[in-house]
Amino acid sequence: MTGPPAASPATAAAPATAAARAAPAPRAALAPRAWLVWSLAAVTVALVTDNPVYRGLVALVALNVLLTWLPPGRRVRPLAVAVLVTATLAALINLLAGHTGADVIARLPEWLPLVGGPLTLESLAFGGAIGLGLVAALFSVAPLSLVLEPHDVVDAMPAALERTGIAVATSLNLVSGFGRTFTEVRDAQRMRGWKPAGLRSWNEVLVPVILTAIEDSVRLAEAMEARAFGAGRRTSYAASGIGAGEAVVVVAALAAATLFVGLRIAGVAMDWYPYPTISFPPINPILVLACLGLALPAFPLPTHPSAAPPGRAA
Amino acid sequence: MSASIGTRLARLEQVSYWYPNQDEPSLREVDLEIEPGLTLIAGDSGGGKSTLLRLFDGLVPQFHGGRVSGRAEIGGVDPFRTPIPILAQRAGLVFQDVETQSVYGTVEREIAFGLENLGVPRAEMHDRVDELMAALGIESLTGRRLETLSGGERQRVQLAAVLALRPQLVALDEPTSQLDPEGAAAVLAACVGLAADGRAVVVAEHRLETLAPAADRRLTVEGGRVTVGAAEMPGRSGPGPARRAAGPPGIAGDAAAAGDPAWELRDVVAGPAGRSREPVLHDLSLAGGRGEVVALLGPNGSGKTTLLRTLAGLLSPLAGTVRRPAGRTAYLPQNPGALLHLPTVRAEVALTLRRTGGRDEPEEMLAAFGLERLADRYPRDLSSGERQRAALAATVAGSPTLVLLDEPTRGMDRAARRSLAAAVETLTAGGSAVVLATHDTELAAELADRTIELRGGLAVEMARRPQRALAAAAGEVPFGGGSR
Repeated sequence: MTGPPAASPATAAAPATAAARAAPAPRAALAPRAWLVWSLAAVTVALVTDNPVYRGLVALVALNVLLTWLPPGRRVRPLAVAVLVTATLAALINLLAGHTGADVIARLPEWLPLVGGPLTLESLAFGGAIGLGLVAALFSVAPLSLVLEPHDVVDAMPAALERTGIAVATSLNLVSGFGRTFTEVRDAQRMRGWKPAGLRSWNEVLVPVILTAIEDSVRLAEAMEARAFGAGRRTSYAASGIGAGEAVVVVAALAAATLFVGLRIAGVAMDWYPYPTISFPPINPILVLACLGLALPAFPLPTHPSAAPPGRAA
Repeated sequence: MSASIGTRLARLEQVSYWYPNQDEPSLREVDLEIEPGLTLIAGDSGGGKSTLLRLFDGLVPQFHGGRVSGRAEIGGVDPFRTPIPILAQRAGLVFQDVETQSVYGTVEREIAFGLENLGVPRAEMHDRVDELMAALGIESLTGRRLETLSGGERQRVQLAAVLALRPQLVALDEPTSQLDPEGAAAVLAACVGLAADGRAVVVAEHRLETLAPAADRRLTVEGGRVTVGAAEMPGRSGPGPARRAAGPPGIAGDAAAAGDPAWELRDVVAGPAGRSREPVLHDLSLAGGRGEVVALLGPNGSGKTTLLRTLAGLLSPLAGTVRRPAGRTAYLPQNPGALLHLPTVRAEVALTLRRTGGRDEPEEMLAAFGLERLADRYPRDLSSGERQRAALAATVAGSPTLVLLDEPTRGMDRAARRSLAAAVETLTAGGSAVVLATHDTELAAELADRTIELRGGLAVEMARRPQRALAAAAGEVPFGGGSR
């Protein structure tokens, strides 16, 4: 066995290695657990109030954080399009089916089922607020799939759910193979004279694809077993601790979620109800500040030297 | 070489093993001792090589179930009863398929997975991962995602992942069958290094020639029986198809050159995913005649599969024209075992014949591929090499006029290769044009009338004769060379 190549003096090599560790890829430099807490807190805020000011703030803040951390090669556009379509649909449905409110902007013939009747500014606005809530919630959880690696999600799980996390992460690894097998088998069967003709004919493609997927899963299970999976208490390659920056993120996120949930339980008015006549939503400066606090991950913070082992970081 | 107690890492005494619901044992009364150094395992597909390797780390019988008899000792413990996590620290196993053994998405995490399972402290984990990456020459892969690695790099990551648990015995089950020659060479060099380092390294391989000079001993596993000593060298044994001796070479190629091509690609631009990606073939022109075998060489990603899929009509070219002969085109994809789904091998062949209006009897095809014995077996219960053969028979049945084979020898043993060569012989004698994409320079040298290398999306003709120079350059013995 040979040692590492002595291409550069050890003193110069050490920081380079440490840097490579701290940012294995530039993405999950924020500890996975901090991500999980931030995501859950942002979703909570987005869903606990229907005030469009707070929801809009959370949506903007979450999008900003997502774009800050988006790894190269991953695209946010498909998600953004899907989210906007969903939100627009929600607003439209409420506009067409609501019929409540004082400011009528148009009328559909009464004989039309469900949508017939007055279309009001108030139902449009309320529908918009519902849509905004969806946007905010989806942007808040997006980093868990777009920024984190499957193994980061495993690391973020509480110990009791770790095995489940690994099962999920490994099955995600097989997804790309599934698509490729489908194309291969379909093409191969076509060249053997198969033609798609009705649902039943697809058996010849789907059955082998599913059988192959099952075989792949068994092989993976075997490989995991051969590497001592299920031995007992696990440790993690990644550092579980969080740095000062992450602590700030977590505290701010928990504070925001607690504040909103607390005020909701205490019955303090923070919601917005546009009926019967539309009004500007109430704004509480403290709650605005709480929402803005969720933007902290978008700023450069002193994060935990994540993958560097104790004793080596220095 | 007699084994002293101190160096013996594995000992099997009269071990027989039956998979669940099988009457025939897959291993029969095996007596075996494994010592430090490099042990090569030869033997035909389905003979029990994989089963033997799985016995060392307890996967057989503990993961696979079934029945076992006899006595065994691996690193001082009983592999039939000792929990696998404990055995994994004595014997490790690297599998054939790089994709279905990856747990995580990135290099260091993948290597550390076993250590996480054993609860190794983080600092030690990092040290071990660093050491291994340096030892295997893969430090440059730090932080990389597995899907961005080449096959050879991925297989070395898997080797590191197994070595992380510090087993003294490492088994590799056909580790290079899916790799290009460069990747295979890197993995095999790593095996030789580990053996020199004092570990017992057991490799089941079809490409034994590369490792043979470094081997300390050789085993042959056939019909579940293990015999010590070198089997006949694959490639030197048996009468290879004497196709090239039958007539002056190059006739078919000349016929194609004379303006009678059976198939033709003219100024073709094509990409792997149709229009959505960068083309990998640029203004490529190529043709082949009836009865001619054209071999396509080139590294992974050079466009071999894209060319075959375009020629098959599965992929529309972005520009240029594609011409195929009248009649059926047969296409063997990579990983062909995936397409099998019927209850028996015979039914698979019969289905293709029925669909394509082939006049042959299934029995003829089965015989041509040496599948008579397996005709009534469920294809998915076969070994990987046998499955490959069954898929090949099911693919080329029905008298195709054009036969496209994508890596047909991947995972094949010498018997399967011989039947492939014989099948190609029969097909070309009947006037079929054959195009095969392969990393297997021996196969190209043996079968091809013309060898084309794809480079940067262009076709470069390497040779118009079967050439031994190419295989010799790769340090390998041409398949069937001994018969000439």
